[in-house]
Parts: sequence; C-alpha cells; structure tokens
Amino acid sequence: MDLSFYIQLLLNGIVIGVIYALVAMGLSLIFGVLEIVNFAHGEFYMLGAMLAYFLSMNVGLGYWPTVLVVTAVAVALGYVLYEALLGSLRAQSFERSILLTLGLSMVLQNGAVFLFTTTPRMMQTPYSYRNIILGDVRVSVMRLFALGLGLLAFGALYLILYRTRVGRAMRGAAQNREAALMVGIDPRAVSRLAVAIGIGLSGLAGAALAPVYAVHPLMGFSFVFKAFAIIIIGGLGNISGAALAAVALGILESVAGGFLPLVMADALAFIAMIVILLLRPQGLFGRGVRV
Amino acid sequence: MRAGWLRALLVVLGVAALFAIPKVTGNEYVLALGVSFATFSVLSGGLNLVYGYTGLLSFAQVGFFGIGGYTAALLVTEQGWSLWAGAAAGGVLAALVGLVIGYSSLRLSRHAFAIVSLSFALLCVIVALEWVSLTRGAMGIPGLPIPTLSLPGGLRWRLGRPADFYYLLLGFAVVAHAVIYLVVTSRLGRAMRAIKLNEPLAQSQGVNPLSYKLLAIALSALLAGTVGGLFVFYLTIVDPSIFDFYYTETMLIMVIIGGPGSFWGVLGSSAVLAALPDLLRFTTDLRMVLYGAVLIAAMLLFPGGVGGWLQRRRRARWRRPGVTAP
Repeated sequence: MDLSFYIQLLLNGIVIGVIYALVAMGLSLIFGVLEIVNFAHGEFYMLGAMLAYFLSMNVGLGYWPTVLVVTAVAVALGYVLYEALLGSLRAQSFERSILLTLGLSMVLQNGAVFLFTTTPRMMQTPYSYRNIILGDVRVSVMRLFALGLGLLAFGALYLILYRTRVGRAMRGAAQNREAALMVGIDPRAVSRLAVAIGIGLSGLAGAALAPVYAVHPLMGFSFVFKAFAIIIIGGLGNISGAALAAVALGILESVAGGFLPLVMADALAFIAMIVILLLRPQGLFGRGVRV
Repeated sequence: MRAGWLRALLVVLGVAALFAIPKVTGNEYVLALGVSFATFSVLSGGLNLVYGYTGLLSFAQVGFFGIGGYTAALLVTEQGWSLWAGAAAGGVLAALVGLVIGYSSLRLSRHAFAIVSLSFALLCVIVALEWVSLTRGAMGIPGLPIPTLSLPGGLRWRLGRPADFYYLLLGFAVVAHAVIYLVVTSRLGRAMRAIKLNEPLAQSQGVNPLSYKLLAIALSALLAGTVGGLFVFYLTIVDPSIFDFYYTETMLIMVIIGGPGSFWGVLGSSAVLAALPDLLRFTTDLRMVLYGAVLIAAMLLFPGGVGGWLQRRRRARWRRPGVTAP
C-alpha cells in the first residue's frame, strides 16, 4: 500500500461526500424551514439521474445542457411538490408529512420500476473514460466534473442563504417560525422556495453522478438512507453541519471500503449515527436539542 | 355492563369460528389467507401500539420481524433448538434491539426516532445481504425443517399440514392481541395515549414518557420478532426479502386505514387488507404504486382512518340534544 492509494481513496471519498452533501443539505433545508422530513427526497435524486440519462443518451443533449435542464426541471418539480402536497400540511403534523412523502416515494420509485425496469444503465458522455493522471493518482474527468458541480452548488446556496433577502428570510423562518411571521415573512413563499431549492439540489446531484455510477430506479432509496444519517449527525436542520458530516462520511466510507469488508462500509453511516445520538444527541454541530 | 358481556361473547364466538375454519374447508388458499391475516394482524397490532397509541411513527417493525425470523431459523437449524425456544429467542433479541434504537433516538425527539427506525430497517437488508458467513447472503436459508412442537402433557405436534401452521399462527395472534388489548385498556395504555396527546402535560402528571415509549417499542418488537420466528417455518425459507419494504407498507396501510389508536379498527382492516395482496396479484408491478397512492390519499383526506371516522360519528351523536352518553 503506497501513498497514492490513500490519495486515490481520499479523492474518491471527497467526490462522493460532496454529492452526499448536495442531497443532505436539501433535506436539511426543507426540514429546517418546513419541519418536514422529506422521505421522497432520494427519489428526486433518482429522477434527476434517470432524466440525465435519457436527455444525453436518447435526446442527444450535451453534458452541460443536460445538467442545466435537469436542475431546472428538478426546481420546477419542487414547486409542484410544494403546491400539490406539502403546502396543505399544517405544522404539528409531522407523522402525516412523513407518511405523505413516503407514499410519494413509493409511487415514484415503483412507477419508475414499472416503466424502466430495474436494469442498471450507464450514462456515456464525450468525457467518459478520460482520466487526469497526476503521478500515480488517476482521477476520471467525470468525477472531477461532479466535484466541481457540487462545489458550485455549495457556493450558490451559500450566496442565496447569506447574501440575499430571501435567503435571510429562509434562515429566519428556520430559526423561529413565529418570530419570522411577526416581522412579515410570508411562510408559504419561503417554504415554497426552500422545497424548490432542496429538490433542485437533489436533481443536480443525480445528474452529476449519473455518468459516474450506474443509473437505476432503486438508487434513490439507499442514497436517502445515508442522507438521513448525515442530517442527524450534522444536527437536524443545520445545513452547514449536514455538508461537513456528508463530506466526512464520504471520505470515511471510501477509506473504510479500501480496507474493511463492504458490509462495514455500508453500515458505517448507521453506526456513526447511533454513536452520535448516544454521545451528542443534538448532532455534531447542533447548538442545543430542540424539543 | 351488558354491552361488555355481549362484546366478550362476540369475541369468543369469532375466535371459535376462526379456529373452526380448517374443519369446514381444507382449501389451502383460504388457510394461506388465514396465515397471512394472523401474521399481519400481529405486525399491525404492534405498530398500532407504537404509532397509534404512543404516537411514535416506526419503520422498524419489519426489521424486528426479520430478526426474529433469522434468529429462529439459525438457532433451530444450526443449534438444534426447538421452535418454541427459537421463536422466543428471536422475539427477545428483537426487543433488545428495539430498546437500543429507542433509547438512543428518543432522547433527541420522536422525529429522530422515525428517521432512525427507517435507517435501521434498511440496515437490516444490507446486513442480511452482506454478512454472508452468518446469513448466507442473498441465497438465504432455504429448506427449513418441519418443526415438531412439544406440548404440555408429553404430546408432540408435528406441523406437517397447512392447517397446523394456521392453528399455530392464529393461536399466537390471539395471545398477542390479548396482550395488546390488556395493555391499551389498562393504566399503561392510558399513559401512552396521554403521551401521544400532550407529552409535557403527561409529564407534569408524573408520567415518565421515555419508559412508556420504550415499553411500547419493546413489546411490539417482541411480538413482531416472535411471529417472524414462527412465520419463516411456514415459508420454509428465510432470505433478505423478509425485510422487504412491502411488509412495512402493508402494516402502515392497515394501521392508517383502520385508524391509529383504534384496537378493533386496525384488527378489522388487517382482516380485510390481508386478502388484498392476492386480490391485487394481477398488477404485481403496480401494487406498490397503488399502495403509495392510497397512503397519499389517506393522509390528505382522512388521516383518522375508519376508526377515527367512527369515533367522530359517535361523538357527534353524543352531542345531539336529548341523547345521553352511556
């Protein structure tokens, strides 16, 4: 085992971690603003990847237009999701929101299985099979693109949340709903935007990973399970905490995958979540337990 | 008092009728539906105890079910335990796992519990698939032997016919529902309901929410694990599909349609919906889509289920002038 092996594992871990972060941040944003755990979140990641596959393989769209279209469609889906289903839920109906989004997840996932079967597909792009070689380390261009897209989305989300009025309104609503209402923030407008951004990030993550991993209808389900663990580790509703926990988990998983049996790497997220819950229930970066 | 006796009589007659079914018809399809009803009614009854009465949405039931199945199968085939001991060990192990999950997540919130219970159910699938040296991976453990039970009085009962498993699972279901009924109609059940309705208020009255929540989780896990241990010997195989999300979905639908927190409502919907997978056999692919749609519709239109609707009607009748509440 030489150094380049570790660097390889580390790089792969960072890429997958950044994509975890995209999904987990959206989930965390939606939870923070609406107090809804979106169980259908992973399905939008799956839909993003499937759409990217069909746009590039069947329609013949290029890589970058595909990513743009998929993200735009996902944002639009987020608006529709809020208007059609989530908007009618009242606060204090936590279980109802879970069962509702769970039902949506069943419909989307099994509908996709029915239409496209569970056969994994690989999205080909002009850049596939191209690698950048630095010494002994070899990184595929698609992974670097995924990393770049993820970092770009981080930056955009940061700018929206911290540099715009609407972003401040979203953070305000997440901190204290009643106070936000009192200073004239429209909860529906803020919630709608949070859902749209969250779903958009999920779709973007799907499009970014479609050329790296195989695309199939069940991919979202196992992915969102890790995203749940991540938002608990990072602190429920804490967006930057979720991002940090996601990258850390990606690296840990990748390194563990190099040495431990596969089952350990996959169970790592769950074990980490239970340990964090026992030692620090508010999450690694939570300020205090919200009850 | 008279209504109570009438109800008890009806229950005894109903149970007797269910036990008499194999005498009337030897139809294996009917018996298979009966086994399905007995199994699912225990699972949904346990979920009702946790979600309907205590207010904790749990996705972990299917994990307890499968843990019980795997434990019983492994102990019977590899350690030579009897079915009784294997199924009981499965139930106890499931209850212990339930306590760990419940204790670690409930200190945070019931939101965390819902998320952790789902992660746990998914983790079970991964472990069953990947821990090949114990669970034999995707192959599962096929060809489980026909168990022979030793009964009190030195009798031995070989479970060779479909009717035998029908008797066994129905008998266990009766015991399980009796336990659940005793819990929900006792002081324990009132405390659980109080926690669901208003936790701070219940706490101010000297109820310790965590211990009641853990009790509900452990009891439902014990029942689900034990029924899992018995059920896999009916299937004669245990493989990772025992953790299938389909079981979770069916249990949830049974509880939601029957009405969370309504003992008879959930029991009734279990009976009706146990037949549903077979009625929907013509659309295997679309069955889960349909279940999902039913869940969405139920959440948007009637979150109280049939039980909730009946209760609303009864209350409306009491409110009418000239009618006094019994």
